[in-house]
Amino acid sequence: MKFKRFAAILLVLGMVVPAAWGLAATAAMDQVQQTVDGVIATLRDKGMESEARRQKLTGLIRARFDFETMSQWVLGPAWRKADTTEKSRFIALFSDLLEATYLGRIEAYTDEKVSYAGEKVEGERAQIDTFVLTAGADIPITYKLVLRGDQWLVYDVIIEEISLVRNYRSTYNEIIRREGMSGLFTRMEEKIRELKATEGQG
Amino acid sequence: MKPAGKLVVLLLLVALTALCPAARAQDVFNPTGAGAPSAPADLEADELFEEEPLEVWDPIEPFNRGMFWFNDKLYFYLLKPVARGYRAVAPEPVRTSVGNFFSNLAFPVRFVNSALQLKIGDAGNELRRFLLNSTVGVAGLFDPAKQNGWLKKEEDLGQTFGRYGVGSGFYLVMPVFGPTNLRDGVGRLGDGYLDPVPFLVPGTLEYVGVKAYDRVNALSLDKDTYEGIKREQLDPYLFIRNAYTQRREALIEK
Repeated sequence: MKFKRFAAILLVLGMVVPAAWGLAATAAMDQVQQTVDGVIATLRDKGMESEARRQKLTGLIRARFDFETMSQWVLGPAWRKADTTEKSRFIALFSDLLEATYLGRIEAYTDEKVSYAGEKVEGERAQIDTFVLTAGADIPITYKLVLRGDQWLVYDVIIEEISLVRNYRSTYNEIIRREGMSGLFTRMEEKIRELKATEGQG
Repeated sequence: MKPAGKLVVLLLLVALTALCPAARAQDVFNPTGAGAPSAPADLEADELFEEEPLEVWDPIEPFNRGMFWFNDKLYFYLLKPVARGYRAVAPEPVRTSVGNFFSNLAFPVRFVNSALQLKIGDAGNELRRFLLNSTVGVAGLFDPAKQNGWLKKEEDLGQTFGRYGVGSGFYLVMPVFGPTNLRDGVGRLGDGYLDPVPFLVPGTLEYVGVKAYDRVNALSLDKDTYEGIKREQLDPYLFIRNAYTQRREALIEK
C-alpha cells in the first residue's frame, strides 16, 4: 500500500515537467508545469522562512486543485441529502484536510525521480500519467484534470490503481452511516488539528 | 500493510444484493436533486457520479479490527525497528538487489497464473525475464530485463480466480500477513505450492526465517507508507480495506 506516494503528488506534478518539455505541450500540461515549477522552486528555496514557504505552497495547491468538485464526489449520495451549510462546511474542511496532508508529505520530499508516461486530453478532461521511481518499485501515479474556464484543475489522483476520490468516498460514507454528518465533521476537525500540530516536525 | 503484491480485494460479492437494482440506478447520485450545486454537465456524466461507494463485504469486522490492531503493534514494535536497524547497516543497492532476488524467485507464481488466465504473451514475458535475470542478472540480483522494457506484471491465484468470475468473499485481515479476502487468501495458499523457497531450505524454521527476511527487506525499502496512513486518515482500517479492494479489482481487470 503505497499511499505515501500520496505525498508524492505535488512532487510528481512538479517533476513531470522536465520530462514533458520535449513534447508539444498542451494547455493542461502547461498549467501543471507552472504549478510544479512553483512547488519545486519553493521547496528548493532554503532561504525561505518555513511559514512563508507553507503559505506559498498552500497558494499553489489551492489554485491547482478543484476541491469543490472533489467534495461533491467524495460525499456522493450524502451530498444530495446534505443542506447548504453542511455542504460548504464539508468543502472547507475537506480542503483544509487535503492541504494539511499534502504539506506534511511534500516536506518529506527526497529527490525521487519521476518519469512522464503520457497524457490524454478529451474535451474538457485530461489525464496525465507518471511514474515515481523509488528504490523498491516504480509507482504509477495518474492525475485527472478538468477544464474550468481556462484553468485545468486536478479532481482525482490515482496511485497504484487506487483512486483517492473513490477511497475517500467509500470511507467517508461509511463514517457518515455510523456516526452521521456531525460525527464526520468532528473527526475531520480533529485530524486537521493533529496534522497542523505536527507540521514541520517531520 | 505492505508491498503491492500483498494487497488485495474486490467488488463482486459485495452486499449489493440487499439493494433493489432498479432503484439503485437513479438513486446513486442525483446531481440535479434539490439543493445540489450546479456542477458542469460534463462532470455529471462522469463514471464517478454513477458509482456506488465501493462496499466491501466485511461481516467479521470486529475480528478484523482486532487483527488490524495486532498487526499494527507487530509493525511498530517489531517489524519496523528491525527494518530500521537493517536499513542502517545494509546499503540501499544491496537491499534493492535482495528485493530483486526474491521477486525473481517468485517467477513460477506469475508464470503459471499468466498461463492459467491464457495470457500467453505475459507468460512468455515472465519466462524471458526469468531467463535473463537469472543469468545476466546474476541469479536475479539485478533486473536487466526491466532495462529491456520487459516489465514485471503481478499475477497470482487470487487474480486468476477473479478472472474466471469468482467473487471475493468476505474481507479478512490475517495476523502477520495483513489484508486479504476469502478468494485471495485461498489463492495465496495455492500459490504457496509454486514457491521454490521450501525446496531450497532444510526446514520450517529456515523457511520462516527466509520469509521474514524477505518481508523486512521489503519494509526497509518502504518510505513509511503505513505511518502516513495512520497519521493522515480518519479511519485507517477503512482506508486500507478500500485501497486493498480497489487495487485487487484493478489487478484482476488487467
